[in-house]
Amino acid sequence: MLHTLLSKLIKNSAGKTRFLMALVGMSVAIFLILSAVQLQVNYYQLLHAKDNQDSIANFLVVNKIMTDQNIGSSSLSEEQIKDIQAQPFVESLGNIVPSRFKAAIQSNSDRFPFYTDIAFESVPSEFLDITTKDWTWTEQSNYLPIIVPNQFLDIYNFQFSISQNLPQLTPAVVKMLVFKVTIQTPNGPLSMNGRVVGLSNRISSMLVPQSFMEWANKRFANSQSANASSRVVIRTKDPGNPMLVSYLKEKGLTTDADKTRFSRYRQVVDFVVNISGITGILMLAFALLIFTLFIQLTIASCKDEIALLVLMGSSPKQLKRFLMRRFYPPNIWIALIGLILISVTQFWLFQFLKEKQIFLSPYISAYTVMAAIGILLVIALVNHQSIKKWLRQKK
Amino acid sequence: MPDRFMEISLQSLIPIPLKDRKLHEQSGIWKKNCLFHQAEWIKIQAPSGTGKTSFQHILYGIRHDYEGAVMYNHQNLKDFDEDALAKLRQEQLSVIFQDLKLFGNLTALENIELKRLLSPGFRTSDSIQEMASLLGIDGILHQPAAICSYGEQQRIAIIRALMQPFDWLIMDEPFSHLDDANIQKAASLIASECKARGAGLIITDLEADNHFNYQRVLYL
Repeated sequence: MLHTLLSKLIKNSAGKTRFLMALVGMSVAIFLILSAVQLQVNYYQLLHAKDNQDSIANFLVVNKIMTDQNIGSSSLSEEQIKDIQAQPFVESLGNIVPSRFKAAIQSNSDRFPFYTDIAFESVPSEFLDITTKDWTWTEQSNYLPIIVPNQFLDIYNFQFSISQNLPQLTPAVVKMLVFKVTIQTPNGPLSMNGRVVGLSNRISSMLVPQSFMEWANKRFANSQSANASSRVVIRTKDPGNPMLVSYLKEKGLTTDADKTRFSRYRQVVDFVVNISGITGILMLAFALLIFTLFIQLTIASCKDEIALLVLMGSSPKQLKRFLMRRFYPPNIWIALIGLILISVTQFWLFQFLKEKQIFLSPYISAYTVMAAIGILLVIALVNHQSIKKWLRQKK
Repeated sequence: MPDRFMEISLQSLIPIPLKDRKLHEQSGIWKKNCLFHQAEWIKIQAPSGTGKTSFQHILYGIRHDYEGAVMYNHQNLKDFDEDALAKLRQEQLSVIFQDLKLFGNLTALENIELKRLLSPGFRTSDSIQEMASLLGIDGILHQPAAICSYGEQQRIAIIRALMQPFDWLIMDEPFSHLDDANIQKAASLIASECKARGAGLIITDLEADNHFNYQRVLYL
C-alpha cells in the first residue's frame, strides 16, 4: 500500500521504452554469460566422461613403426610401456593384448553363410567407447561378447555385401546375430557362441573382454609370453601436443593419424565460450551502467518528492527498499527466463546428441544456476550502491 | 520509560541570519535557555520577520544554520543521523507546516494515508474518515490536494499530522485560512488527540489567541 503510494510519487522519468530496451540488453547479457558457463560445463563433461561413444578426450593407439629392422619384435617391452606411461601428456595407459591362438568365426545360419579366420585383441574397459552390461565374460557365459570396429561394418555394407550380393546390415541387426566362434586348442577345436555387443570408433580391432583373453591365452597360447601386449592405448588431453608428437617420433612409435578433428572441436568450443562469455560480461557491464543511470535519473527527477517524503519521516531505509523493489525484480525474471531458455536448449541438445551417441546431461549444471545467482547478487550490489549514493547526493 | 516522553531544551539558540539583528533582545527564546516540559502546551507569539518558521524548521531538523543547541532528552539534534531523524519524525515529533507541504498530485486521502502507512499500525484508515467528517472535508478526500482550497488543504495537513504517534506537535499558523467554527472543531480535535497521547504542543502564530489552554505563552 505504501509501495503503491510511493510509485505514484516516484515515477520512471526516463520512459518505459528505454527501460524496456535496457532490460532487453540485460537479458541478452545474462543469456550469453549463462550459455558460456553451460557450454563450458558440457565441454568439460564430454572431455572427462567415460560413457561417450565419441568422446572428445583423446585415445591414441600407440605401436612401434614397422621397419625392416624390427620385424619379429613388434611388441613393446615392459620398460618401453613404463616409459610411455611416465610421460606428462599421458593421462592413463592400457595394454592391448593380442590373442595368441588361432580362431575362426562362422555363421550359424544357412541364409547368411560366412566363415573367416580371425584374431582378437583386448583392452581395459575404461579405454572403450562403449559401455554395455553385456561386456563381461566368465567361463559360465553363454556367449562370447565381441566389439567390432565401425569400419568393418562400413566395409561390409558399402563394398562386400554389394559385391557378393548379400543383404546389408544395420548395427542393430549385427548385434542380434549369434555366430559360432571356434578356437584351435592343443586338444582340438573348441566352439562357443559369439555375439557383437558394440561397434567402436576408437580402436580398430576385434575386441573381446580381458577376462576371456587372459583365460584363453593361458590355456591355448602357442607362445611363451602369454599376456604381453603388442601395442598400447593411451588417453591424452591433447593429441596435438608437440611433446607427444616428438616423443613418438624419437622412440620410433606411431599412432592413428587423424585425431586432429578433436582438437579442432576444442578450438571451436573454446572460441565460442570465450566470445559469448566476454560479450556477455561486456553487455552486463553496459546494462549495469544504464541501470545506474536510470536510478540516478529517477532520483534526480523526483528529488522534491523524495525531500518531502524524508520530511514526512520516511527513513532512508524505506526509500532504498522502495527503489530496490522498483528496479530489481525485472532482473530476477530475466535470470529465471534465461535459465529456462538454457534448460530447454540443453534438453534439446541432449536429445539431439543422444542420437549421435554423445551423452550430455539433460539438465543444466549447478554451475549455471550458481552463475545466475552470482549475476543477480552483482546486480543487487550495484543497484543498492547506486541508490545509496544518489539518495545521499540528492541531500 | 524515561525516553518515551521527551523534553525539549533550547540552549542559546539563534538562527545565523537573525544573529546580527537586535530583535532577540526582547525574545523569550532566541539566545535564551528554555526548557519545554513534557506535555506542556506552549504558544509562541511571533510578529512577522522574527523567525517563526525558522524556529519550527530548526526544531524539526530541517535547518541547520543556527548557533546554540536543540536538545531532545539531552541529545543534541545535530548529532541525529538520518535514521534517527526519521525515527524522531515517525514516533515523537509531528508537524503542521505553514506551507502545508502536501503532495499536490496525490488525493487528500492519499496524502493522509501515506503518513499513516509510514507509522504502520498506529491508526486505522477508518480514523481518517472519522476525522475528515469531523472537520468537514470528507467530501473532498478523493480530490487531488492541488485543487483543494487552502482551507481544505490546511485541514488535510492537520489530519495528516494526527496519523502518527508523537510527544510533541509543532504547528506553524495552522488555522490561518479557517473560519472560527472550523478553527474550533480543528482545535478541539487536536487537543483531544494530544491529551490522548499525553503529548505537548507548540503553536506559533502572529496574534494572541485562545485556541488551546496554554500553560505558557512566549514571545519570539
